[in-house]
Amino acid sequence: MINVILHALPIAIVASTPLLLAVEGELVVQRAGMINLGIEGMLLVAAMTGVIGQQLTHSVAAGFAAAVLGALVVAALFGIFAIRYRADQIVTGTAVNLLALGATGFVYQALRGGELFFVPPMTEWVQRLVVLLGWIVFPIALALLLWMTRFGLRLRASGENPEVLERVAFYRWSALAIEALLAGMGGAFLSLALSSGFAENMTAGRGFIALSIVIFGRWKLRGAIVGTALFGIAAALQYTLQAMNIGLPFHLLLALPYVLTLLILCGIAGRVRAPESLGRN
Amino acid sequence: MRQLAAALAAIVLLSLCALAVGRSPIELLRILANGSIGSRFAIEGTLLKSVPLLLTGLSVALAFRAGVWNIGGEGQFITGAIAALAAARFGVVPAILASMLAGALWASIATAMRLWRNAPEVLTTILLNFTAIHLLGWCVNGPLQERGAQYPQTDLAGAALPVAGELHAGVLLALAASVAAWFLLYRTAEGLRLRATGLNARAATWAGINVNAQLVRAMAISGGLAGLAGGIELLGTTHRLFERFAAGYGYSGIAVALLAQLHPLATIASAMFFGALSTGAGELQRTAGISSNIAVFGQAVVILLLILFGSWRSRD
Amino acid sequence: MLSLQRITKRFGDNVAVDDVTLELRRGEILALVGENGAGKTTLMRIAAGELDAGGGTITRDGEIGIVHQHFLLVSDFTIAENLALQRAWSFASPRTLEREAEACIRTTGIRLEGVSRRVESLSVGEKSKLELIKAIAKNPRVLILDEPTSVLTPNESAELFAVMRTLASEGTAVVFISHKLPEVLEIADRIVVMRRGRIVAETTAHGMTPADLANAMVEKGVAPPPRRGESRGGEILAIVGVAGNGQTELAERYRNEHPDAGLIPEDRTRDGIVEGMSIAENLALKSKHWHPREAATAAQAQIARYSIRATGPSQDAGSLSGGNQQKVILARELERKPKKILAAEPTRGLDIEATSFVHAQLRAAADDGASIVLITSDLDEAFALADAIQVIYRGKLSARLTPAEAQERVGALMAGIA
Repeated sequence: MINVILHALPIAIVASTPLLLAVEGELVVQRAGMINLGIEGMLLVAAMTGVIGQQLTHSVAAGFAAAVLGALVVAALFGIFAIRYRADQIVTGTAVNLLALGATGFVYQALRGGELFFVPPMTEWVQRLVVLLGWIVFPIALALLLWMTRFGLRLRASGENPEVLERVAFYRWSALAIEALLAGMGGAFLSLALSSGFAENMTAGRGFIALSIVIFGRWKLRGAIVGTALFGIAAALQYTLQAMNIGLPFHLLLALPYVLTLLILCGIAGRVRAPESLGRN
Repeated sequence: MRQLAAALAAIVLLSLCALAVGRSPIELLRILANGSIGSRFAIEGTLLKSVPLLLTGLSVALAFRAGVWNIGGEGQFITGAIAALAAARFGVVPAILASMLAGALWASIATAMRLWRNAPEVLTTILLNFTAIHLLGWCVNGPLQERGAQYPQTDLAGAALPVAGELHAGVLLALAASVAAWFLLYRTAEGLRLRATGLNARAATWAGINVNAQLVRAMAISGGLAGLAGGIELLGTTHRLFERFAAGYGYSGIAVALLAQLHPLATIASAMFFGALSTGAGELQRTAGISSNIAVFGQAVVILLLILFGSWRSRD
Repeated sequence: MLSLQRITKRFGDNVAVDDVTLELRRGEILALVGENGAGKTTLMRIAAGELDAGGGTITRDGEIGIVHQHFLLVSDFTIAENLALQRAWSFASPRTLEREAEACIRTTGIRLEGVSRRVESLSVGEKSKLELIKAIAKNPRVLILDEPTSVLTPNESAELFAVMRTLASEGTAVVFISHKLPEVLEIADRIVVMRRGRIVAETTAHGMTPADLANAMVEKGVAPPPRRGESRGGEILAIVGVAGNGQTELAERYRNEHPDAGLIPEDRTRDGIVEGMSIAENLALKSKHWHPREAATAAQAQIARYSIRATGPSQDAGSLSGGNQQKVILARELERKPKKILAAEPTRGLDIEATSFVHAQLRAAADDGASIVLITSDLDEAFALADAIQVIYRGKLSARLTPAEAQERVGALMAGIA
């Protein structure tokens, strides 16, 4: 059994890197007091623009840059409504997701003519780099930023008692920008490294799973890493078991990540302390 | 009125998408109109599409009014349909009832998780959607697959709704549900308390209202309505289950509810608008090859405009 | 230091500040007194630059610090982190922030220890000190304190006065808003009385008694409410204490234990009225039946009975003034003649007319046999209404006292000295 787990671990880490990046980004945004359901849409748009960017320029770097740009556009949309117009964040996030879904589907079908959406596999060192960034570099950097700088202190204050600050909007926009950077990379990694390109609705709820892990990890980076790792291992385990012909029938296997996330949300009874002003306008 | 402005503005913005694929916006609008209301066939199609939208719209409206974020219409729709299929052998009425019960139960999973584990229903209902979609996939590829096992779909259901021409009795059921929902919200004391809970749960508690009970009730009714939508769609229109059965009806319900400002009677008109958009988009796909995703895009634009105008919920 | 010339401020139809001229001199302690709603806080917020004046000119010479009644603190952060929010720095470890906080506190002369403690664990008096430290740390030329002693024990108040005198001696002008007249006479150099947005009197403390001041504050002699007679059915138990000593938790416990009691919550806009619903709907929340027309008629009757100033039963209850909202809540709760009533801070922020009305309603309910628990931080109110008094301190209740016993001991009990 241990062998099976050890065998699944590296796969799990790599496969759940997009998820982890999304968790990290959403964590920053929620620490600043906002619930961004639209992270699902951000990942999806980033996955598409990443592919388009790479295919047009044949450069992985350009692909990632395009992905981040796409995520920024989605973040800007959410920000305008949630920050500038102080709109309800749940409704705004839902609308943003629908917009992303419709827009990416539309563009995908419109451009499907050529081979635009089939990309060559990403080189190993780039993959390793992104995994390293996501699992080690970014968590450390974000932890330092949030807990050792005045910027981070004020960002966290925006999520606790925003009335204490003068320029709450600045910190919330900054948080969204950070989320876009991370989710952009996550989306690009999903389409360029883990898949062979873009497919409609390919994020399949990763954004929502990320939201759940943020809660499970109690809005801390340590919790984010542990939560994502646990999730990734559990999911990868099932695939490994599947390969060995034990486990669930194929379609129920597809439902596993979501049931797993539901169980994760069950494990947070009572004592969870969210940032005090989370979700309030 | 701002609602009308939002709807029209969305259509205009949509038509501009035509430019992205090298076609004229006017032509896009023409095809949309033709496909939705340009012929008897089109109008019937629009009405048929409006029925599930009306019910999922009511589902969302009721839940949001109670202050509960039920985004799980999709999953409740699916489980409702599965239950209807299973119960169809006993007749149409048991099948309809089964669909409502299944939808209510599926929604109640999220309620239970919120009450016992503090899990936010906005996430749990969405996760249950994905779960239900794959549950459906398993059913139509496995235990419920048609006898010939050729396609991922079930056999025809053992019962069907009575029809009049191309329309089925579901139209009447949906309208009745709309009136019933209005009556519940605006003519009963429980409806008053439900609305109060949604507007200010703290004040509702101080006024002696059992907020948790309101939550449970609202989610159950909301789930039941979405489940009913699935049952009616099965027993009236498709007559069998297949992958992608839900086709976004659950999420579309959100746009329907918001355009109607969460008001049960206005949902009728709102559902017809989005029903028309949907059939029109289908025609666009068929004749002009423009992705029917444009309908989803349109829903999102409407919602965003409503948010901008500040008119996605009415003051009672 | 600070010069306010002909300041006027309107909120809709309400004239909160009416043509006020006021100048502050170096090193003076000015007391600003007046009833609730007289315009003191609004005037000072304008002076500090938080609100714009509708008319008039302000001349400031230096920084103006203001310490509000409501704390602007991040509860989840430590004392050190709260202080660090306003200072200039980029990168520091938590320990560095703590050292800097201790240094900052030392310069102000106020005693506050344990800077690594979370603000949510501090007592109300300590939170008040922290706010004061924040304001003083900016080295203001003028320091405005809004009702600072309302949450302090007598010892803490004495500490505060010492700090105020030190600041004044160093040249800072201190404005002290209060309705506690004995304190005002003790500390202030100059006293300014406001009523209905205007300055109606200006004097020094020399030779004044609290009664003199009180007379200047009110319009006509308000007869003290008659003491309760013998023939009443129910009793009124007043639970007094400095705000923040567990009153909220006590009220919620009572609410959970007595679901069919009449409940008047402490925060009427947040917990009492459902904004977005009409007066009729708010009144009907406890009813068995709901029919719009009948409800409207019933609401109209209650609006008349309780003299609620509204355009009609269909007016949004959220748009009513504080006093009228309280009347709606009273109407709803008292209508069913409950046997038990909980009233938490029922007259907070209300003017004299509304306050008398509420008191009369509570008295009438008690006369009818209801037993009332009145949670209040207003000692005058407690002594006017109560048959028995208990003091709450840090969540614990004292023994029941008669009003006479309470007169002697309440000060000590409220400060935690048994």
